[in-house]
Amino acid sequence: MGEVKKHDTPMMDELKSGPWPSFVDDIYNYAEKHKKQACFDILGQMELSYKNKETHWKHGGIVGVFGYGGGVIGRYSDQQDKFPAIWAFHTVRVNQPAAKWYHSSALRKLCDLWDHRGSGIMNLHGSTGDIILLGTVTEQLEYIFYDLTHQLKMDLGGSGSNLRTPECCMGMSRCEWSCIDTQDITYELTMHFQDELHRPAFPYKFKIKVSGCPNDCVAAIARADFSIIGTWRDDIKIDQEAVRAYVAGELKPNAGAHSDRDWGPFDIKKEVIDLCPTKCMFWDEGQKKLYINNKECNRCMHCINVMPEALRPGDDRGAVILMGAKAPILEGAQLSTVIVPFMRLEPPYDNLKNLLYKVWDYWMENGKNRERLGETIQRVGLNRFIVDVLGLKPLPQHVKEPRSNPYIFWKEEEVEGGWTRDVAEFRKRHPA
Amino acid sequence: MDKETLKQKILEVMQKKAGSGGKSKIYLKDLQREIPEANPRDIKNAANELVREGKLEYFSTGSTVMYGLPGVGMGLEAGVEKPKEE
Ligand code: HEM
Ligand code: SF4
Ligand code: SF4
Repeated sequence: MGEVKKHDTPMMDELKSGPWPSFVDDIYNYAEKHKKQACFDILGQMELSYKNKETHWKHGGIVGVFGYGGGVIGRYSDQQDKFPAIWAFHTVRVNQPAAKWYHSSALRKLCDLWDHRGSGIMNLHGSTGDIILLGTVTEQLEYIFYDLTHQLKMDLGGSGSNLRTPECCMGMSRCEWSCIDTQDITYELTMHFQDELHRPAFPYKFKIKVSGCPNDCVAAIARADFSIIGTWRDDIKIDQEAVRAYVAGELKPNAGAHSDRDWGPFDIKKEVIDLCPTKCMFWDEGQKKLYINNKECNRCMHCINVMPEALRPGDDRGAVILMGAKAPILEGAQLSTVIVPFMRLEPPYDNLKNLLYKVWDYWMENGKNRERLGETIQRVGLNRFIVDVLGLKPLPQHVKEPRSNPYIFWKEEEVEGGWTRDVAEFRKRHPA
Repeated sequence: MDKETLKQKILEVMQKKAGSGGKSKIYLKDLQREIPEANPRDIKNAANELVREGKLEYFSTGSTVMYGLPGVGMGLEAGVEKPKEE
């Protein structure tokens, strides 16, 4: 490799002066150590973009690995003369292990692979959840794919109009609140839907994310077309002894998470009872006893988060299935909406898979180009989607709150006498 | 419709679209619209098989994927020529 050339980047250099470690330092250190022209060029091009206030990346292309319709995203510089080392700078998405646990030796191997065959720049993790390997040329793609699959036993992730790499919170591997085995569900769905993951199947992208409890640490409700969130149906388990210990200041609220400042003594009324969104809790000061009206509880997790030693999710566990979240491309951002209030999730998760097939069959046939599931639901109407498409019964849980979406739509056959009326008969009672 | 007939039909649609100076890249949905008598999932499977056989190719922006006939329309490197090695 010949001499490498650093570009003049005053605006990039300014970013190094902030209080946090800067990616500019990181990339320059790496570029100098490994003599990588691509890294110098990428900062050079970024400087130019800051100056011109426009991007110099072109996108789109036929790049990919044989047999896969996703996982590689073609990117090209439109400034090849100035920055020849990044004329092609493709992104490779790598399917992360469920809950993102690695052995450090796997990460080392991955870094070696990328030093050797790519720019050396990577991003753990992209907002999709995948490991993102940033910047390589077309000629390297098949080698990268071979090394990944044969040496690291890793696979490419999803991109394009495919199922995207399913993602989950750490679930039962570390978190006592997990009501479902998020990692197992994610692994099972990933393996079962390999074809949908690697080959385009849909009108647009489709994301599945799994959180073990309503704290929703992977933000499934905001980021997934199909959000699976653990919940329970029976009562919150209360250890009254531990509740009294919190009230007496013997246990730290929120497991000590807010102990960097003195917030004064713990006040169960102010910090728990009054913040319960459904106002279903009661602290009897005289009896020193906590009551919860579980019928009204909406499983928001607040009280459990504040007093983890005293309160636990119940034992009748499963998940709520929500659908339709998306970022604002058409119509603005949207959260997923409840479709199945409670589903028991046990291997091999056939109930879950069947629901997915039902949704996909409809969306593949009726979704428009680049229309996310949430937009399709909006277009046909939530009621029609629930009743006609999925064949489910409308339930109170589908209604966000009274008077916000309570409109009940009838079909003609459900109305006695139908839509048509006898005008002559009507006029007898209501003269014109 | 059997798979081979469907594959033939897909290629015909692609050629027709590309031929009349029209689109060289089309969405899966466009194929489905042109072949309404086939099931969308069968069309998907047939089109993906044609890619494996080298008769179609994918064109991806990263957020969506389109299908094209190899060598027709916007090319391998999105119209970018690789600079010559010095
Ligand atoms: C001056 C006359 C009117 C007044 C003061 C009035 C008042 C209201 C109010 C307060 C609401 C909100 C109800 C709620 O959600 O709690 C409403 C909703 C509605 N009104 Fe009227 N209304 C009038 C005329 C009409 C007429 C003539 C029609 C139909 C021909 C109509 C059709 C509707 C419909 C369909 C809604 C529900 C709209 C939605 O939720 O998007 N209104 N109206
Ligand atoms: S979503 Fe719930 S179960 Fe999953 S890591 Fe967060 S708190 Fe734990
Ligand atoms: S989980 Fe939320 S709604 Fe339920 S009792 Fe606790 S604070 Fe109230």
